[in-house]
Amino acid sequence: MANPLLAFWRRLVGDDGRPPRSPRLVGDDGRPARAPLRRMPHASATQASETIFLILRRMRTPLIVLIVIFAVSVLGLKLIPGQDAQGHPSRLGFFDAFYFMSYTASTIGFGEIPVPFTYAQRMWVTVAIYLTVIGWAYAIGSLLALLQDRAFRQAVALQRFRRRVSRLREPFLLIAGYGRTGELLGHAFDALGRRVVVIDRSDDRIDDLELDSYRVDVPGLVGDVRDPGHLGIAGLGHPSCEAVLALTDDDEANLAVTMTAALLRPDLPVVARTTSRAIARQMRAFGAPSVVNPFDAFGDHLRLALHAPASYQLMVWLQSGPGAELPARGQPPEAGRWVVCGTGRFVREMARDLSADGLDVVVVKPAAVAGTPDGDDPSSPRDGSDPAQVDLRQAVGFVAGTDSDTTNLSLVAAAGQTNPDLFVAARQNRPASTPLFAMMAIDALLVPPEVVAREVYAQLSTPLLRRFLREMPARGDQWAAAVIDRLTTLCGHHLQDLWKVRLSGREAPAVQAWLASGRARLGDLMREPVDRDEPLPAVPLLVLRGEDCSLAPDGDFLLAVDDEILLAGRPTARRSLEATLLFETVTEYVFSGRRVPSSWIWRRLSRYEARPATDPTSPAPHDQ
Amino acid sequence: MNLEKVVFGFFVLLAATLNFGFFIGDIDDPAVHSVYELFGAVVVSLIATVLKFGDRTQLGAVHLATSLVADLQLLAAALVWGYAQYVSSQGVTPESMASVVSLSGGALLANLVSVVLLVVETVSFQRR
Repeated sequence: MANPLLAFWRRLVGDDGRPPRSPRLVGDDGRPARAPLRRMPHASATQASETIFLILRRMRTPLIVLIVIFAVSVLGLKLIPGQDAQGHPSRLGFFDAFYFMSYTASTIGFGEIPVPFTYAQRMWVTVAIYLTVIGWAYAIGSLLALLQDRAFRQAVALQRFRRRVSRLREPFLLIAGYGRTGELLGHAFDALGRRVVVIDRSDDRIDDLELDSYRVDVPGLVGDVRDPGHLGIAGLGHPSCEAVLALTDDDEANLAVTMTAALLRPDLPVVARTTSRAIARQMRAFGAPSVVNPFDAFGDHLRLALHAPASYQLMVWLQSGPGAELPARGQPPEAGRWVVCGTGRFVREMARDLSADGLDVVVVKPAAVAGTPDGDDPSSPRDGSDPAQVDLRQAVGFVAGTDSDTTNLSLVAAAGQTNPDLFVAARQNRPASTPLFAMMAIDALLVPPEVVAREVYAQLSTPLLRRFLREMPARGDQWAAAVIDRLTTLCGHHLQDLWKVRLSGREAPAVQAWLASGRARLGDLMREPVDRDEPLPAVPLLVLRGEDCSLAPDGDFLLAVDDEILLAGRPTARRSLEATLLFETVTEYVFSGRRVPSSWIWRRLSRYEARPATDPTSPAPHDQ
Repeated sequence: MNLEKVVFGFFVLLAATLNFGFFIGDIDDPAVHSVYELFGAVVVSLIATVLKFGDRTQLGAVHLATSLVADLQLLAAALVWGYAQYVSSQGVTPESMASVVSLSGGALLANLVSVVLLVVETVSFQRR
């Protein structure tokens, strides 16, 4: 209310009996209205500064006590008569009195100046010393107590966090819930040079942020992600926020984050984690969040691993991010009976996914498997009529899916003893169990945080990779094996770098004429600028033209202006390709083999005429 | 009746009245400006400032600002007087007295604004 007149008018006219306008969430056509975008909740923000003001208020009494004590002491010293050196009556000035009280009260004590005091003055000073010491002790004690105060320190931390977030100028990801998944993703995006803001309920996790080795500063807030105010402080309303990740281990909280983001910032992409189909449906009712269900994803992965081990291998490799080693290719079992052991959502998802694949699935309780702690107990309830031993010997696959790591480990051990040829899948619940699971012969291991982290990474790191991973399974296993072969021959067994090139006039000015000629073979572009007979150590995984995409195109693929290419390869290849796309002299050599002088004088001397390099005459190096 | 409001109003008014009492009289005549009155004005003004800490309203913020202005002016006046009396070789001259009193005049203006705000607050409180 900057204008009091306006405020007055609103008060006069505004309250004429109409009901207050409630924010409409759904427009007339049934679609969500966009109005609430600028209405970022600032309740908690004002609360923060409110705390500081309240605490300032608590310093009022000590300060007033101190002022009064000083005033009384100084006035007394001024009023009480003294004597100068010659015995004439004289009084201290206000300045002398204030000076004396200042150094006496602060226990410095320079002595009686300018002249020694009379007894009357000394009596008053005795009283004043005790008064001021009490005043100081009270004031300093209150101040220290204030600095130690939990509410005060939280308020200060909140203020600092708010300032750090509002000063962010680069695009950043808002991670709600900094558990294992959040940590993995935080580090992955940090390695990509993306900024991250974190909000979590537990202050231990936020303290861990300080200890973690991030390249750039990661602002972290201890707060409730269900509170829109806290999300607002964490940058939900910030123009640079580019996505919201709801990664807490609480489905309800993730739903709340999804709802908040969809209502307050409908333009932002949201990625939410849940293990419940019902919650996922509720999430999809708000905008179009991409919902990651680790159990569902693991089921899909397992199916892919059973049908197409090479496709699965390629997918896991590309999702693992830069530096990952090529994972081993699994050996899928033949068709047969699968035993899924455990209860709950994970087991239901697994059974559904495997049955949908036409497999024969039996769900049993842990007690029904021999060799586990309660397996030999005859009184324990048995699920299904088949005795456990028979089950496992005739089965081809076994899933240990309880929510206890010790049970899963003993199930895997028991299964391995009964039938060593089993394909074993297991679920790991706690990060601390990693070394134990690593020592067991497990063919497919589900670690929910890692599954979620890989899915989210693939979705947010480059949209082209997501597209590639979505389209890839349809191409079949042999195709995937061929792509892996190309990648390993050119770039080795470690995934080096994944990057995107756009053949636009800005990013690739040197090849525009070539692209427009209609004879732009991809194979001609992928040559080393140093020696054009050498292929560039990179593999184009995907070419996107408008909405159409071509997966792993070969050397004869014809490029056009504004194509987007997703490449995997060595960092040197990335720099070489940039040179080819940017510098005409390099382009000319790569396409035609002619070495062109780059300086103006040398061009004059060699009578070089700029010609569009449209005709690569020499044969291509072996097509990639 | 609210005791806090009584104390608050008392100190705001007392700061203004003391300030006025010091200010009134010939501007360059040390005889009509009591040093005790200036001392009282400074102390009361400081207390009034601290009392205004921690009020989050717009009115409270302006209150605090006026008090800070008054403090600044009064402390400057006290400093000028102390300088004239102890440091300067001429002692308290009519010129230095005039500058002390005019500084306290500025503080008086700020204190008057404070009083006006107090009255406005009281009046608008009645409406609710």
